[in-house]
Amino acid sequence: MKIAINLLQALILILGAPLLRGIIGRIKAWIQRRQGASIWSPYADLVKLFRKEDLVPPSASWVFRFAPRVLFGTAVCVAAFVPVVQPSALLASRGDFFLLAYLLALGRFFLSLGGMDGGSALGGMGASREALISSLAEAPFLLGLVAVAILAGHADIAGMVAWTLRQNIFNISAVHILAFTSLAMVVIAETGRMPVDNPTTHLELTMIHEAMVLEYSGPSLALVESASAIKFHTMVALLIALFAPWGMATSVSVWSIAAALLLYFLKAAVLMGLLAVVESGVAKLRMYLVPDFLGVASAVSALAVIFTMLAKR
Amino acid sequence: MQPGSTELAFVSVLIVLGLVVPLVLAASRTKGARTLAVALILVSCLAGCFVAALGFWRGSGFLLTFSGVTPFPFSLTIDRLSAFFLLLICTVAAPVAIFAFTYFDHHYGEQRRNWMWAFFSLFLLSMIVVVAASSGFAFLVGWELMTLLSAGLILMEGDSAERRHNVLIYLLMMHAGAAAVVASFFLFLPYSHSLDFGAIRAAGALVPAGIRILIFLLAFVGFGTKAGIIPLHLWLPRAHPIAPSPVSALMSGVMLKTAVYGFVRFTFYFLAGGPWWSGYLVLLVGAVSGLLGVLYAIAEHDLKRLLAYHSVENIGIIYLGLGTSLLFLAHHAPIWAALALIAALLHTFNHALFKSLLFLGAGSISHATHTVDLEELGGLQRRMPVTGTAFLIACCSIVGLPLFNGFISEWLTFRSFLAGSILTNTKAQIILPLMVGILALIGGLAAACFVKVFGVAFLGRPRSAEAEQAIEVPVPMRVGMAALAAACLLIGILPGLLLRPLASLCQVLIPGAGVPKEILMIARIIPWTAAVVLGAMALTALFKRAQKKVPTWACGLPQLTSRMQYTSTAFSKPIRFVFSAVYRPDRKIDRLPADQPYFPASISYRSARTTSYEKTLYRPFVDFIVAAAHRLRRLQTGNIQVYLLYIFLTLVSLLVYLRFVR
Repeated sequence: MKIAINLLQALILILGAPLLRGIIGRIKAWIQRRQGASIWSPYADLVKLFRKEDLVPPSASWVFRFAPRVLFGTAVCVAAFVPVVQPSALLASRGDFFLLAYLLALGRFFLSLGGMDGGSALGGMGASREALISSLAEAPFLLGLVAVAILAGHADIAGMVAWTLRQNIFNISAVHILAFTSLAMVVIAETGRMPVDNPTTHLELTMIHEAMVLEYSGPSLALVESASAIKFHTMVALLIALFAPWGMATSVSVWSIAAALLLYFLKAAVLMGLLAVVESGVAKLRMYLVPDFLGVASAVSALAVIFTMLAKR
Repeated sequence: MQPGSTELAFVSVLIVLGLVVPLVLAASRTKGARTLAVALILVSCLAGCFVAALGFWRGSGFLLTFSGVTPFPFSLTIDRLSAFFLLLICTVAAPVAIFAFTYFDHHYGEQRRNWMWAFFSLFLLSMIVVVAASSGFAFLVGWELMTLLSAGLILMEGDSAERRHNVLIYLLMMHAGAAAVVASFFLFLPYSHSLDFGAIRAAGALVPAGIRILIFLLAFVGFGTKAGIIPLHLWLPRAHPIAPSPVSALMSGVMLKTAVYGFVRFTFYFLAGGPWWSGYLVLLVGAVSGLLGVLYAIAEHDLKRLLAYHSVENIGIIYLGLGTSLLFLAHHAPIWAALALIAALLHTFNHALFKSLLFLGAGSISHATHTVDLEELGGLQRRMPVTGTAFLIACCSIVGLPLFNGFISEWLTFRSFLAGSILTNTKAQIILPLMVGILALIGGLAAACFVKVFGVAFLGRPRSAEAEQAIEVPVPMRVGMAALAAACLLIGILPGLLLRPLASLCQVLIPGAGVPKEILMIARIIPWTAAVVLGAMALTALFKRAQKKVPTWACGLPQLTSRMQYTSTAFSKPIRFVFSAVYRPDRKIDRLPADQPYFPASISYRSARTTSYEKTLYRPFVDFIVAAAHRLRRLQTGNIQVYLLYIFLTLVSLLVYLRFVR
């Protein structure tokens, strides 16, 4: 039963991913007084892309065609790490956040290579910018998780979530606030949201992620897009599970699972609303201000680690 | 298995590498003789692997004493630590020898080839002697031969003033390091009364605290010079790039590891842990070497220099593990000390595999295109598929991506940092978890660097006619690279193979350490992760649609040229910009004519990175030595009477010392 629920969790993270994008788009449209597309339109886009033919540049090698598959494979694997409705997941009991972070790095590594295989200036530009951002984002991401892990006394994600679940909601420490701040900043940078990257840009010179995947089309592009969506959803679920897990089912019964699921969607919707407000309100950062943004995240996460000392006493 | 037959196998390896192979090569210059020599080297490597495997997995060691036939105590032993490093040497040397079989034939004339192979064989022998030595003399003989033979191999590649200068710096620094190692051996002598390793270990506890500190520092500096820690790395980016590629592979992949071996032998086996601050010192040096190493590497576009700087970075990661282990030892947490030591030793092995593979890849590139300048390459993956794929596996491994071997050791290092939070010492409790951030930054920058290397060299369009016409290298070179790539993947997916015997090894080095549960965790989770990732990738094959080749979009221009691609320099520009404080770029822009700044006839732009180590660190030291030598020269008058006076004065003062002081 527990394994079935774990499987269900992974499926929610994978299949619900495009929906999350649709919801953000809808809220943003509402803030900007536009009609906006249906929240289901990302699914329609994926179906459309999967039906199209795959256009490949003449200079491309197998790395170009292989990269979206690696990205998709790692995204699916990462989705098996994060608890949604109960404090466990398929790979969460033995797999820790170091493995999670490096699986994401594996996908990113191949996608950057795929971007460079097209032989155009834009792919290299995207890969170079992505390399800068992701190399600086790694440290705050891991340090923020280290802080939570030290408090919880567990390094596996299931143990961390279960520990937080046992705490009183009003008893959260400064470590949690600092760690959440840094992780939220990193998630924004890692998943290519504003103010680090503009996912809806159509101007090549401002692109980061979009420049890298410029040469992809058809099913390959669909894999890239769905992998990015899964990664984004997994990151959101990770934030929720680590910092607001309350309401997760601690016993295996249909009602508690259903209630947990409903509560999860509510939490996700609130977080998406916040993100949409932020994205509508801020302008994209200049490229060379992004290291400052990540520098702040690093400093905050380092503080979180140092504060674990005080919290333990 | 007959008792004594492993000894026999080991002795015959020594004899074949040291005597038979050079004799065969001296006897004849035919291809047949050379083939025989290479076959003998290969068989020796396999026999060495076999002896090492028995020692490493089963713990069946032996001791060979040659003291009867040598003028000084000379003995070799295979215990678990030696067996591990012997395994490393032989595992890497065999594929490198296969690679070199064709490489040397293509690149050197008749006579030089035989010399190359003879030195190659003796170089292997010297490294085996270093790790198998069981007495100080044997160790130092191997150590010295290793330095001289590798210098010989570098000089055989060519002869120019610059090369000689670089080799001179290499030899000078190596001998300064060797002097420190000799001194640290001799400091044991008053307590152990012999340089036998067993006696030294037994005396380890008797050495007074002050001398222990001195021994630790001398060993740290001596082996650190060989390992190439910053700021003692000066020789490394000079010597490695100018060696022939298979030799670079051995130097970077294997020779640096003997320094790690020496350091572990001294601090863990002889001294059983350093002073309380030793962990912090090693951590600091590891962090600095790791970060600066990778930052210098990113700025390079000469592939072999870039790889040499990555050796500095990886030695930094190994030292991070060693430092953590020393810190845990100082705080009486043997199980975590064992975990960190396992991480460091596994990274040593992993680095040997992927770094030698990367250098062989660089050798293949230079074989096919006659250059290792990244700005001249591009599009090689389609032209050299096997080389490219093997190189890609090595890139993924060195970056520490999961499913490849580098990840396992970096993961273990991360986990040992995290374990620091359980210590009761406040300083260690904060510093160790913060090290996670340092290692993550190193890993992130390494990923950026290898996206650059692989993307610029192997993907996209060729940037020169040579790269355009490149063809795949001959079969033996491909076989050598494929073997190393397979080893990287094997350890990456089934890490338990090496981790369990490594845990037994660490129980010998750290008394009271059990088997850390982390090694069982990683050994179990990685195959599952691999299954999920590969399964999901297989699933994507369902969405296959017809592929059509269409030109890359060129923003409306008629067509793209290779010059429009991002170059290596352009790729690393954002990172160099962000970390400009580290590089201190020295730019110079000349506009001609100078009196018309707005209508220049020509503009020249030069940008150079100044490495300030020579200027700020080494120059004052060298100046001091030279000044001191000038002072001392007054003693050397050249007048024989004065020298007789010196001898007389020495005699008198020694007599006085013996009579009155003692």
